Amino acid sequence: MWELIQTNRRRSIVLFIGMGLSLLLLGFFIGEAFWGSDGWIAGMSIAFLIWLIMSAVSYFSGDAIVLAMSHAKRVTPEIHPRLFNVVEEMKIAANLPTMPKVYIIPDIAPNAFATGRNPETSSVVVTAGLLEKLDRDELQGVIAHEVSHITNRDILFMTFSAVILGSIVFLSHIFLRSLWFGGGRRSSSRSSSKGGGQLQLIMMLIAILLAVLAPIMAQLLYFAISRKREYLADASAIRLTRYPEGLASALEKIAASDINLESANKATAGLFIVNPLIKKGQRLTALTSTHPPVLERIKILRSIAGGANYADYQRAYSSLKQGTETRTSIIPPSGIQDTKKIELTKPGKREITAESSRRKLDDLIRTLNDFVFLQCTCGLKIKIPPDLKVNNISCPRCGRILEIPLSQLQRIKSRWKADKATNA
Amino acid sequence: MNCPRCGKSMITLEIKEVEIDYCLSCHGIWLDNGELELLLRDAKRKEKLLQSFLLTSVPGEKPLKCPVCHKKMLQVMVKKVLLDKCRHGHGLWFDNDELQKILEMGDFDPDNTIKKHLTEIFNNKEAKGE
Repeated sequence: MWELIQTNRRRSIVLFIGMGLSLLLLGFFIGEAFWGSDGWIAGMSIAFLIWLIMSAVSYFSGDAIVLAMSHAKRVTPEIHPRLFNVVEEMKIAANLPTMPKVYIIPDIAPNAFATGRNPETSSVVVTAGLLEKLDRDELQGVIAHEVSHITNRDILFMTFSAVILGSIVFLSHIFLRSLWFGGGRRSSSRSSSKGGGQLQLIMMLIAILLAVLAPIMAQLLYFAISRKREYLADASAIRLTRYPEGLASALEKIAASDINLESANKATAGLFIVNPLIKKGQRLTALTSTHPPVLERIKILRSIAGGANYADYQRAYSSLKQGTETRTSIIPPSGIQDTKKIELTKPGKREITAESSRRKLDDLIRTLNDFVFLQCTCGLKIKIPPDLKVNNISCPRCGRILEIPLSQLQRIKSRWKADKATNA
Repeated sequence: MNCPRCGKSMITLEIKEVEIDYCLSCHGIWLDNGELELLLRDAKRKEKLLQSFLLTSVPGEKPLKCPVCHKKMLQVMVKKVLLDKCRHGHGLWFDNDELQKILEMGDFDPDNTIKKHLTEIFNNKEAKGE
């Protein structure tokens, strides 16, 4: 799959330049609109500077930015043993050099993504809602998809685009907002020379138009390049799990959810396994061309027959796209030549989700939000929020005085600190 | 979640799979919509109970704000006990003296599931070692 990694590198460079150019263009017109005819120099230099800084930042700490933006919390096996178990399984199956860091977003909307610079510094992120909604096979399918993004070297590209896209959205936003407060020196220059003023007015209109369009264009570019990646990650995931139905039914569950992920935004939306920002009905239909239509991905997965190698996936894809895009190849040539038979696994016994899963989800979200859980000897469970600043409480049921210990998250953090200190 | 009466952060108490929110400083409790449903085992029965509450207003008392949506809550009268109900159905607020009244009286809700649960937590003589 070396050529795939090469293609991904090339695409990353195309995106890097494309995004940079659109930033420069935006800078040009915003500069013109604000500072008159020579304004483009200032506008473009600022845009160029932003481009350079953002690129450097997203290369070195893009994952940290994306993780912070989505409010993801790093966890350990004791917080969710099953999740770790599945990630470890897929890490071994995919032959990753190190175990990815595991994060959970305390949100009830089901979704997942992966980020990082390379396989050595990767992170897998899932939402609490995903863990509650999916059974083990489905979770395995989703994790396999994310681990495939890591092995296919998609993560740097995706993280990078999220950061650049974020800065374009941010810039346009600032510009459009600033129009409310006077709009630069437009009025003064108009009084000095009539022609210049008119030109500037045109520039202003173009700038507004661009500011509105740039985020959309950048997003389209981003999705256009990432469409194939999603199919490919699905195909790779099936090679890892040998069980297409797991991923298919997971995608179905994620797409059927009508809860929007609160911490997701325009910039990070493309990272997720299913677009987190579209409402229920839209998400399932193939009308939205920006993100690979989930329904199609599910159909392809369900029509895979005979085996789980890349050729099997391509065959399923082609038969679905008959007539229209039959020749489009999702899988790079070396993948298709890989005809080693991979047997599909037979469906096992499906788990039945427990009735109290909603309570478990709430408690998981509380754990991630740094709550302390106390169990009084009288049988009462007490959940204490982090902003309650007391050392002990008296149990409302039996009156015993209970000391409030550190929260699980705090204990984990202090352990990490201690580990770092001993390693240093 | 913050107490609608004194604004302090509330703790959550769970017993028999049902949660209530409890304020440590004013000892009032918040019964969340979902928990009411769990207690009454049915969304319809919960609705029926909530609908049966009579709207009132006590002159001079400032309406409390719902801890979930922060909108002004409605004051309702249930068997001579004044409660606050969120107008968007997020839940019920019991001040401490209201809670005590309910614990002392015979019947509160039709099957007394809510009263039994509150007694289980706040008036359990066995747990208190009496």
